[in-house]
Amino acid sequence: MDIYETPLPGIGVRYEFQSESGDHVGVVVRRDGKRDFALYDREDPDSCKGTVELSEGDASKVAELLGGTNITARLDSLRHMVEGLAIEWIAMPASGGLTDRTIGDGRIRTETSASVVAVIRGDTGIPGPDPDFTLRGGDTVLVMGSTDAVRQATTILTG
Amino acid sequence: MLTAALPVEVLPEPDASHAGEVLIELGIILLVLAGLGRLAARIGIPSIPLYLLAGVLMGDGGFIPVSAGEEFLEVGAEIGVVLLLLLLGLEYSPQDLRNGLRSNWVAGLVDGLANAVPGFAVGLMMGWSLTASLLLAGVTYISSSGIIARLLDDFDRVANRETPVLLSLLVMEDIVMAVFLPIMAVLLVGATFVQGAVAAGIALGLVVMAFVVSMKFSEKVSRLVHSHSRELLLLTVLGLTFLVAGLADAVQVSAAVGAFLLGLTLSGQVADDVRSLMPPLRDVFGGLFFVFFGLTIDPRDLVPVLLPALALAIVTALTKIFTGVFAARRNGIGPKGQWRTGLSLIPRGEFSIVIAGLGVAAGAQAQLGPFAAAYVLILAVTGSLLMRFADRIPMPVKLRGQSSWPGSRTTAPPLASAGAPPGAPEVRKPLA
Repeated sequence: MDIYETPLPGIGVRYEFQSESGDHVGVVVRRDGKRDFALYDREDPDSCKGTVELSEGDASKVAELLGGTNITARLDSLRHMVEGLAIEWIAMPASGGLTDRTIGDGRIRTETSASVVAVIRGDTGIPGPDPDFTLRGGDTVLVMGSTDAVRQATTILTG
Repeated sequence: MLTAALPVEVLPEPDASHAGEVLIELGIILLVLAGLGRLAARIGIPSIPLYLLAGVLMGDGGFIPVSAGEEFLEVGAEIGVVLLLLLLGLEYSPQDLRNGLRSNWVAGLVDGLANAVPGFAVGLMMGWSLTASLLLAGVTYISSSGIIARLLDDFDRVANRETPVLLSLLVMEDIVMAVFLPIMAVLLVGATFVQGAVAAGIALGLVVMAFVVSMKFSEKVSRLVHSHSRELLLLTVLGLTFLVAGLADAVQVSAAVGAFLLGLTLSGQVADDVRSLMPPLRDVFGGLFFVFFGLTIDPRDLVPVLLPALALAIVTALTKIFTGVFAARRNGIGPKGQWRTGLSLIPRGEFSIVIAGLGVAAGAQAQLGPFAAAYVLILAVTGSLLMRFADRIPMPVKLRGQSSWPGSRTTAPPLASAGAPPGAPEVRKPLA
């Protein structure tokens, strides 16, 4: 799918693509963060049949609805592709385990062969954290590996 | 000072203090503007023409005399025009200006020629001076980006494919103004040729400087001006704006031009800050500016210019339609979109009044004020109505004959692997 990007001077940027069903869909990202979601008219392709104005909050909710399931589905298909692959989201405890220590301290990779793929702290995701990355209570850690390895890694992480 | 018609007479103390009179007059004026603004919103037209009309009907020869507040109104109007132009300058980022110049300069040239020439010619036909005719050319050339941007939003046309074409024309007009306004300011001083050339050189130097500063040093300027406190930010920006505008006035480039160039200079974070902070202030003082401009016009002076203004309005509405259709067709927009682009360019507004205001302040031509007021009244109202009903107004047959699919687009090449909008987090928590 190709997404076309057009600057709208004084307003923001417009992104536009054609869905597989043939509808033209546009999203205007405004300078102030608001989004307009537009469906183009098939009769008069330059104009919109309708637009929905979304606040920044609305937009991220819609994105979650549209994209969130997409990501879990993709992870699922990944799991199907690699037999025995386990993907686990592990919440760090307030204390104990690796909380307030670095990922390297846990020697997860060496001892279990599982990998820490990402850490989610608050609203931000940190992909591929370094070994000297210090974990904190409340972080969510994404671990991948064989089922056994992931189980062992969970024990190391949560204590 | 006040005539019997004013409510001041009713007050118990006949000689109310001067400050009191000023406040009462201002209060009445602002309330009238508030009422007119509501009316405009109700009937779906921009408020600028109504503010102008209110000004025309007040003051000398009008129904509501204004006297005590005139001094303040004059200062308020000056502040209004400065804020109006600061925000007009801020509307487009340096990036927008560069892109506009690069991609649509041919359409911009057509826009300039088709719409400035009729104004210039009519000025000369009415026996105006060269300078006054040039000012009228500016009045007829410049579409109102304020009115058009607002209406695009109101009519949900922001996402339309013809909208980038429309906006790029407005950007070009902005760039032209950056050069046109300082030159007019210099011409209006009526200097000798050498003085004029020197002053024009200074003015153009300032324009170039403004662009260089905005392209190269916008980060630094932003850091200097930015503050997390709204109060400090407002004080800094207002102080800077008035200082620059005043200095520009002192070197005969006119305060409005100084503010416009400052607006072009500011970009990035500080531009966002100013855009979120200034509009309410601009709306109040801008309203006063339109009223004050109207105040300087005696309604009786409108009568003789009404017919020529109407004729010029019709001609320049047609030339704007031509411009829009031409530009949209060059960018591969279908016939309906071309028609909408043309009709959307018609509204004239704040910029036209600012240009005429320069001439009125310099005493270039007595008829320029009433003429511009009548012209803007006609085109601001009919322009926004034409824009609103663009899809229902039948197209000329010539346009209809074309195929409805755009051949090419004004779009950039597709984004590589654009699965998510840039800046979207790559990792998300699972839903369950």
